[in-house]
Amino acid sequence: MPVGADLVLHEEVDPEFSRNNGAALGRVIERTARRWKTPLAIPLMDLRLEKIDLLARIGVSQKDAEIFQFTSPLDRSTLAALTGRGASYSCPGSIARDQALSYIASISALFPIGMAIGPFSLATRLMRDPITAAALAGRGISPDDSDDVRLLFECLRVAEAAVQSSVRSQFAHGARAIMICEPAANTAFLSPRQLKAGSDVFERLVMQPNLRLNAVLDSLRCDLIFHDCGELMDLMVEAFATRLHPVILSLGSSRKLWKDARLVPSDVVLYGNLPTKSFYSDSDMPVEEVVRRSEELLANMKACGHPHILGSECDVLFVPEARNAILAKVDAMMAVPSTAGCSLLADS
Amino acid sequence: MAQNTELYNSIVNGDAKKARSVTEAALAGGVAPMELIQDSMVPAMDEVGRLFEAEEYFVPELLLSGRAMKSAMELIKPLLSASGQKMKFCVVIGTVKGDLHDIGKNIVASMLEGGGFEVIDLGTDVSPESFVAAVRDRNPHVVCMSALLTVTMPSMKLTIDALKTAGVRTQVKVLVGGAPVTQQYAREIGADGYSENANGAVGLVKNLLAGDAA
Repeated sequence: MPVGADLVLHEEVDPEFSRNNGAALGRVIERTARRWKTPLAIPLMDLRLEKIDLLARIGVSQKDAEIFQFTSPLDRSTLAALTGRGASYSCPGSIARDQALSYIASISALFPIGMAIGPFSLATRLMRDPITAAALAGRGISPDDSDDVRLLFECLRVAEAAVQSSVRSQFAHGARAIMICEPAANTAFLSPRQLKAGSDVFERLVMQPNLRLNAVLDSLRCDLIFHDCGELMDLMVEAFATRLHPVILSLGSSRKLWKDARLVPSDVVLYGNLPTKSFYSDSDMPVEEVVRRSEELLANMKACGHPHILGSECDVLFVPEARNAILAKVDAMMAVPSTAGCSLLADS
Repeated sequence: MAQNTELYNSIVNGDAKKARSVTEAALAGGVAPMELIQDSMVPAMDEVGRLFEAEEYFVPELLLSGRAMKSAMELIKPLLSASGQKMKFCVVIGTVKGDLHDIGKNIVASMLEGGGFEVIDLGTDVSPESFVAAVRDRNPHVVCMSALLTVTMPSMKLTIDALKTAGVRTQVKVLVGGAPVTQQYAREIGADGYSENANGAVGLVKNLLAGDAA
């Protein structure tokens, strides 16, 4: 995961300029990959872009898009505007993302990877209370019987269209794999109680839209990297791994990857999953602990024989006062495979 | 005092429509609003909390039960205001400056209401100044702050410092929470407590206030 890109971005004189300038952003991603000696040019994680571009279709400004949420079912004209094939919009961040991809694609030593928020996660950002709506849907309440459920499925429909549009654009600019990030597809949003009782809410809200997205990627001959850093049930991990069949499956630190290996086909690489969300704190996560966990993870993955790339559980955001602490731990994590005599590829 | 089993069950089961209709009927039948809260609604949310701790209920169930409770409270609140009755303790809650995440904060607010607290929700992206103003204007007993991003956590310390500068820090207990927050961090910034989940927050608030009363 792009733990490196955000840190490297903030070494720029003007990080916000570089974030929105394709050439500068491309160089940031290139420097990140080279610094930590990986061919995988993982992009900067910005899961706001698809929402910004989507809402621009109905006149919501970029500034307002971040907090904008639908509060009632969409009327026909809004739905049509959001899903139609009319003029699409790309915000500066999306344009920079695509231009950076083109730049990376021109470097033969690097593998250009795109990124997009997943359809379910985007849908949850379009409405105020997606969890209640999902819970009602999980009880079998239909869109006809509940405005909350109706809005959820409408948001999912427009989200799916937006993500597919983003993916196609990134592929057109040179992406050879797309990392689909579904942080909301987790047990906070989807009740394990309901799923254990046989509810199909995970299937309808998460798997079906992502299967359709995967079909789009297949048609483009573009690989899928699937990321979900949330708390998950085994059945979710197994579904992601066996039915989406990504080339890489990236999971959060709540999972024990060597135990998840039994759920994952042997040709799906497991990625992660150091608890980088706590790297900012030397008291909670000292460097020694990072090294210990890295060594333990590598040893366990070697013992279970499943292909694995050592990395972060998710993006590590730049925290000004903790920059040195975070960098020290990233460097320590990346140094472990070589000191451990491990032949597995490590990545940031 | 008799518990209204139908109301209790409708909240535990997260049935908002039933909770509302049962409350309506009970009030029409002359049951005192505070009796409904204390004998049926708060125990129902206590049970919901127990089920959550037992990992039988999860966040979606918490929200459905909170929604059922809120649906009933919408009928009761105007009656309490009219009679001058208030909940004994008041909590101000918000997501800190720079952070727009609200799901965790909303769950905690819902559970606190269910726990019998008056909750003033300041929303998201709440500046230290806004927290201070809320403490001055509403005299809460507790301030709860949420942050979902490591980059916004520093706003928690800024808010605690602002409460000190304004001379109101000792008036309130300060609780913090959110995915990147830890017990250690809470201690470092001078918070009175930290909870890693919504249900824990309710228990912690009760304990802190009980400690004050002792």
